[in-house]
Amino acid sequence: MWINMGPQHPMTHGLWNLRIKVDGETIVDAEPEVGYLHRGIEKLCENRTYTQIIPLADRLCYASSLTWSHLYCLTVEDLMGLEVPERAEYIRVAAIEMQRIASHLMWLAAYAADLGTLVGFIYAMRDREVFIDLLQALSGSRLTYNFPRIGGVAHDVPPNFERDSLRACTYMEKKLDEYERLFEGSKVFMMRNEGVGILKKELAMNLGVTGPPLRASGVKYDLRKDQPYSVYPELDFQPISLPDGDCYARYKVRMDEMRESCKIIRQAVQKMPKGKWRIVAPRNGPVGTGIGRVEDPRGEGMMYIVGNGTPKPYRLKIRSPIFVTVSAAKQMLVGYKVADVVAIMGGLDMCIGETDR
Amino acid sequence: MNLFQFCYGLIHWLVILINHLWYWLGDVLPGALGEFFTDIGDLAASHGNIAVFAILLEVLIFVIIAFVNVLNFIWLDRKFMGRMFDFYGPYYVGYRIGGWLQNIADGMKLFVKEIMTPAKADKAGFLLAPVIFVGSSFLALSTIPLGSNFGVETSAHDTGVPGGALIAFAFFAIAPFSILVAGWSSNNKYTLIGGMRSAAQMMSYEIPLLLTVASVFLLAGSFSFNGIIDAQGDIWFAIPLFLGFIVFLVCLMAEVEVQPFDLPEAEAELVEGWTTEYSGMRFGLFMMTSYLRGYIGGALATALFLGGWHGPTLIPEPIWFLIKAYTVFVVIEWARWSLPRIRVDQILNLGWKRLMPLAVVNLLIAATFKTLGWF
Amino acid sequence: MSEERVIRALLDAFPTAVTDYKKLKAGVIRARIERRELYRCCQFLRERLGFEHVSMISAVEYDDRFEIVYHITCYGSCLLLELITQTPKDDPSVDSVSSIWGGANWQERESYDLMGIKFNNHPKLERILLPSDYLYHPLRKDFKG
Repeated sequence: MWINMGPQHPMTHGLWNLRIKVDGETIVDAEPEVGYLHRGIEKLCENRTYTQIIPLADRLCYASSLTWSHLYCLTVEDLMGLEVPERAEYIRVAAIEMQRIASHLMWLAAYAADLGTLVGFIYAMRDREVFIDLLQALSGSRLTYNFPRIGGVAHDVPPNFERDSLRACTYMEKKLDEYERLFEGSKVFMMRNEGVGILKKELAMNLGVTGPPLRASGVKYDLRKDQPYSVYPELDFQPISLPDGDCYARYKVRMDEMRESCKIIRQAVQKMPKGKWRIVAPRNGPVGTGIGRVEDPRGEGMMYIVGNGTPKPYRLKIRSPIFVTVSAAKQMLVGYKVADVVAIMGGLDMCIGETDR
Repeated sequence: MNLFQFCYGLIHWLVILINHLWYWLGDVLPGALGEFFTDIGDLAASHGNIAVFAILLEVLIFVIIAFVNVLNFIWLDRKFMGRMFDFYGPYYVGYRIGGWLQNIADGMKLFVKEIMTPAKADKAGFLLAPVIFVGSSFLALSTIPLGSNFGVETSAHDTGVPGGALIAFAFFAIAPFSILVAGWSSNNKYTLIGGMRSAAQMMSYEIPLLLTVASVFLLAGSFSFNGIIDAQGDIWFAIPLFLGFIVFLVCLMAEVEVQPFDLPEAEAELVEGWTTEYSGMRFGLFMMTSYLRGYIGGALATALFLGGWHGPTLIPEPIWFLIKAYTVFVVIEWARWSLPRIRVDQILNLGWKRLMPLAVVNLLIAATFKTLGWF
Repeated sequence: MSEERVIRALLDAFPTAVTDYKKLKAGVIRARIERRELYRCCQFLRERLGFEHVSMISAVEYDDRFEIVYHITCYGSCLLLELITQTPKDDPSVDSVSSIWGGANWQERESYDLMGIKFNNHPKLERILLPSDYLYHPLRKDFKG
């Protein structure tokens, strides 16, 4: 019997449908269905100038919007061949890592709430407010920032930004210890997560899974270290990878990534040089193509842009990490119980905005 | 003075007052009509009649106490949860008394909501399930006495409902039947799954529960609540039967369906589980009964393990009983909001493979204590 | 494995089909290939050269042709290969690589849905983002909304 979990369902964050075929309580087959939130962003981009697309790129994945507008600006700078000033790069990196922590905290809140600990939801959202406040001081809004520009960032950092970011990092590292005690100290949480939803390494690589689920299956590949962009070569951090491939490994990879992000924010904020924060980009895009790749909190984000000499791009193609990761859902779900669907799909951190574009 | 004597006296006074009317009518009206009214007056003043009304009044008093306690429990639950989660609980409604009137506001909201019945639902089952659920819980509630003179009794010298604790547990255990009927008659795949899970869970946790209760009966030597509580005069049963107390609390949490055992109504998977199709005050009845069963569980734990109403004599006995019941409830709430939900096959695993052997060991300990003559 | 070795290996294996190659920047190579050899080339890339992951499959429509751009990653040597094939305007169809890389499955369905490129031997070529009874392919330049 095929059961439809969704599209209107408290568990599915965002609007998508998961059809599963069950035999008693065990899952025999699974098929995700997306496309309920398709807004036609790629077609919209062909009618807007290069600068007008930045707010559109923010709304691709609203849970981690700075990553996408930064990705777009990187792509266009590759197309136009621009060299961004160093201060702008450092500001971008600090903001992106704060966004990464905020996105992972939102994932933690939703994951804990789905598993039954409402405590985790409230605590994670409370700590997310710290970083959202910092980003609000930086850019003016809380969720979709419209902050990077082609050639730099929109404006300089506010006063006392360095002091506040260092305080936030210290606070977050203490709280991460508390979260580890809350979740890993609970036998029930470990029972629900260990050995559930195992994805082997070869299968993960073949199916196109990227990001924390890939690193939790044993592949130590992080775009920030292996194909670095921006000023990441000058910053000192470690990509996290665990060999197990179950839900607990995915959880642990994200928790440790938050710790590494705190380290990166500290270095970026302290090493920030003085100088310009923006150069003016040319109005027309040259004829040619450009590629940008970033390590999004959810995986590998990529954009391919084709310019034709006019102020508007000819074609913009967006690769969303969750679009490909969710197609691997069948391999992760078959053989487990219906109650495990929450843990497994929650561990993938789905954001439907970027899946459906 | 007994509660029964108090109610008897009250009803007796009321009946004498009304009998003035009947006897006057009997005197005034001629012939057979007059004799009719005199006979009514005699019937009203007979012992059996007054006793029946006295018992009804006792049950009414208990139900009112239960309602007030349930309101308190819900308020305490939400405040405690709020403080654990780093926010205030209910705050604005009833501002000066800490938000206690929030429950009344929620109740009024539920009353004015539209009550919908699904078109293809089985009408009889759908309408009967809340009735059975609430009714059996109130029946279980009314058998628990709150003090040595304050319980539903049937005569001036009797001590409680015949059968005592056994009847209370029997009524408590009717609930899984009504949950199954509610889940099935809603004509919804999800509620069916929720109802079946709930029935499986409750059935598998009844057995360790009743085994621990059996060990208490063994030590106390009687079934009735008064007998059990009197046997705890020297030492509360929680101390020799510590293992049983823990098992009892865990089984209670599974019976009342609080987290970590609330998979039947797990929001993340089944929307609201077996109560999905109920709206308005029908849903309110289910929610209220859930808390009522929490109260019953706390009261049972107090009566069986924590010495009932024994305590320093400055505080009246029912208040001491309620304080202990509230403490048990707070401990259950503490566990509730800290732990994640357990998966259904792990719940059944826990019930059958871990709790039942522990309950049997507890029974053996009780038997040892009894043969050694310490009780 | 450096970028020059990859280009050398491709030219040796497919001397007639590879029409253009260029190293774009550090770690990124571009090559053009004819569509008749695409499937064998992808098999060669995966089995011999160790390119395990297809990152993105894009479809671009020009005035006289369709271009299908494959971005393929090698985890071991951190390389990105941009492989471009083109098809004539009236016959936009290519062989599907979803039997080589499972990650290409949904991406090819998306290109079919939005741009109308048909992938031969695809296990389930249906619309994925738009409703299944939709008649048009919106990303084409002649679709004005």
